[in-house]
Amino acid sequence: MATTITRPKTLIGKAIRRREDPRLITGTATYVEDIKMPGMHYAVVVRSPHAAAKIRSIDTSKAAARPGVVAIFTGQDVSKVGPVPCGASLPGLRVPNHTILATDRVYYAGHPVAVVVATDRYIAADAADDVEVDWEVLKAVADPLKALEPGAPAVHPQWPDNKAFDFHQEHGDIDKAFAEADVIVKQRILSQRLIPTPMETRGVVAEWRAADRALNLYSSTQIPHLLRSMVAQMLGLEENRLRVVAPEVGGGFGCKLNVYAEEALMGFVAMKINKPVKWIETRRENYLTTIHGRGHVDDYELSAKRDGTITGIKLRIIQDLGAYHQLLTPAIPTLSVLMMPGLYKTQNIFADIVGVFTNCVPTDAYRGAGRPEATHGIERMVDILAAELKMDPAEIRLKNFVQPNEFPFPTATGLIYDSGDYAAPLKKALDIAEYEKLRREQSESRKQGRLMGIGMSAYGEICAFGPSPATPAGGWESATVKIEPSGKVTVLTGTSPHGQGEETTFAQIAADELGVDIDDVLVVHGDTALVQYGIGTFGSRATAVGGTAVYFALQDLKAKIKKFGAMLLNSDDVTLANGQCIDNKTGASKSVQEIAAASYRAMQLPPNTEPGMVSTHFWEPPNFTFPFGAHLVVTEVDRDTGAVKVVRYIAVDDCGNILNPLIVTGQVHGGVAQGIGQALYEQAVYDEAGQLITGELMDYAVPKAHMLPWIESDHTVTPTPVNPLGVKGVGEAGTIGCSPAVVNSVVDALSPLGVKHIDMPMTPEKIWKLIRSAQ
Amino acid sequence: MKISGSQRLPFPPDQSYALMQDPEALARAIPGCESLEQTGENEYRMKMKMALAAFSGAFEGKVRISEQQPPSSFRLDVEGSGKIGFVKGGGVLKLEPSETETVVNYDGDVQVGGTIAAVGQRLIEGAAKSMIQRFFEKLAAS
Repeated sequence: MATTITRPKTLIGKAIRRREDPRLITGTATYVEDIKMPGMHYAVVVRSPHAAAKIRSIDTSKAAARPGVVAIFTGQDVSKVGPVPCGASLPGLRVPNHTILATDRVYYAGHPVAVVVATDRYIAADAADDVEVDWEVLKAVADPLKALEPGAPAVHPQWPDNKAFDFHQEHGDIDKAFAEADVIVKQRILSQRLIPTPMETRGVVAEWRAADRALNLYSSTQIPHLLRSMVAQMLGLEENRLRVVAPEVGGGFGCKLNVYAEEALMGFVAMKINKPVKWIETRRENYLTTIHGRGHVDDYELSAKRDGTITGIKLRIIQDLGAYHQLLTPAIPTLSVLMMPGLYKTQNIFADIVGVFTNCVPTDAYRGAGRPEATHGIERMVDILAAELKMDPAEIRLKNFVQPNEFPFPTATGLIYDSGDYAAPLKKALDIAEYEKLRREQSESRKQGRLMGIGMSAYGEICAFGPSPATPAGGWESATVKIEPSGKVTVLTGTSPHGQGEETTFAQIAADELGVDIDDVLVVHGDTALVQYGIGTFGSRATAVGGTAVYFALQDLKAKIKKFGAMLLNSDDVTLANGQCIDNKTGASKSVQEIAAASYRAMQLPPNTEPGMVSTHFWEPPNFTFPFGAHLVVTEVDRDTGAVKVVRYIAVDDCGNILNPLIVTGQVHGGVAQGIGQALYEQAVYDEAGQLITGELMDYAVPKAHMLPWIESDHTVTPTPVNPLGVKGVGEAGTIGCSPAVVNSVVDALSPLGVKHIDMPMTPEKIWKLIRSAQ
Repeated sequence: MKISGSQRLPFPPDQSYALMQDPEALARAIPGCESLEQTGENEYRMKMKMALAAFSGAFEGKVRISEQQPPSSFRLDVEGSGKIGFVKGGGVLKLEPSETETVVNYDGDVQVGGTIAAVGQRLIEGAAKSMIQRFFEKLAAS
């Protein structure tokens, strides 16, 4: 009888340096732009300068006459290509026909109208300028509130009210909660439009191998397999004739969790010209045409008892959708509704979403996708309530938290929170900050006329997307683990990373489970010809879902190793430990490498056992995971300039078990950087005519290193019961916890002046005006 | 975007007014103007080069003069487009005598689109002001 001895873990939990970093920091990684092919052609997309216009005619003759131009295609030429897909479904959702090139009308500035293909990218760019479009300019609307006003220009003429959908959800008895409330607080809270800004813009290389009837599509994407399925459908190509490769992907933050017009367009072009074609998005195109994030106008009402008990939450979301639905556009605000109770117990909620079309680029998933908006809202409202009741913001949170003995906890919005101790990270953050002392310092500094603020957030989030019934395209993830005849281990994962460090963490899992050297493990991803199907990397799912699939594939493999080991050792009682299969009676052993070699040589096979050492596992998660944490921020506001200085940033995150603290800390740092970007600096601005006036990095303020504070990162550990690794996910936590803590801190700093709320971004100009108007 | 201000011309109003209706004088005075050809009554086709920050490009457009009330006011509408975007603007110019000179008060709206809107919006006001100033300086020298 085989018994299992728990082997001391050697790699899990260790700060192993990322194995992918050397190629990244030496500039030797292969991105789409680095792909070279004989006969490569280059495509440039002609885009609309207008936010709304009819196309009277397109004259390509001058462009076509330019030497080196091979082909020009307009909307008429690509009419057989299917529309850009919307994967979200909501009752009564209006879905505009999103053709890959505009035909008779454009709906946002940057809308693609033609593609020019040439032997040289500069010729293609010059020729694109030669394409003459006769426009009939129409009135545009860029502001979602104005779009809802009667008589506003219709983004899509068939829907003059500019509404894409109405969504409603409620639970409990909201009317009773509000009728019996001691106090009701209300606030409109904005989560502005943001531009995701990955370091690598989008890019596509398409290669049509006519003799094989096979299309190879290289794209900077987070979802190679889903992209393959959808682009194959758009092009009318059999799915097994299309291979999608996501080579090195230089960041995505959700904006590459999508299917874009250019991905199908380049496939179409390659098939037409029978030559490989490359399209690389410029930064300006990236800002104009890759999805934006957020874009919420949220009206909140909270009802509460005098003692601070929250009894009900009302929320009306106006979501700026932009002109079209990209893959998940309409689904994003529904995640905000799911997350609206935050970490608090209340069972009375009432939520409405109005999805609004505007003449802007579509919004979609951006780091956090719906949860930052919800967390920002509830965490601002809790502070507003605390101020109204003159309670300490920490005390009111501790009073309303779901308690550790209440898990699994069903929320008012239909989720089941898996595990948690919500007070733990908040108390830890307060301890690290020396909260009492900090408040004393604050009151001293106020006496000196300084504007010092202390703010906190206690966030929860929905991660590890997710159970398949709750996702648009399957929520499982897959892994194949192979031990090659030489004993080297290959892990094939369906969750294709774009900066998450899976080549390190997944190798840690495999090396630990098999007891082999981490350098013997290779993690392969991002190629649909190599990897079994997969869903992709988003929603903090890579380790919790993809890593769990790897874990289960390894369990199958370990069972097989033991079968072969027992056979080779002629034993019925073996243990697998430290890379050795050991006969428990004699102490004789065979290494995993020897056993793998024997399994391929197959001179002898255990009963009912196939040769080889390969295992594939598709893992379906039974639930989401719900990480949580608390961020505490100390700020000082310059009275004369309105500039906000983040003096201290304390992040205590609970993401369950930590496989690699270096990677977890890195994710927190990156998330906080983007959260501070939203809180203090970033905003995508369209003018009234629908022109994006923050069209480049000179005008859109992505924070640079010197604009960010030192981040004091710490953790509590509450494993999830949802997966055997006990991991919850941490990719989005920093962003979600950050913005409300920063805003709460600045509002606290300005509270002696009577300031009760500030919308993001809290630019010096905005703060200066607030200070001036208070004086 | 609103653009307004005032400039001086060292001529009496009737002479200033005539100058501002004279295609040849205008062609010489408009910064970057390469040609200005009459296409109808008070309508002109213009080709010009414009530079804004790191961008420069050729524009082709229409100029229209209307609401003429010599020598005290007229309306000017300009519409142009090129590789770096489009510009559309219009406004009223009012001429007032000031001793032997003319003060020209202008008040109008300018809208830009395309690349120049995305990357140059914050520079446009300054660029427009300096172009207007150069325009009047050249006109004054004619």
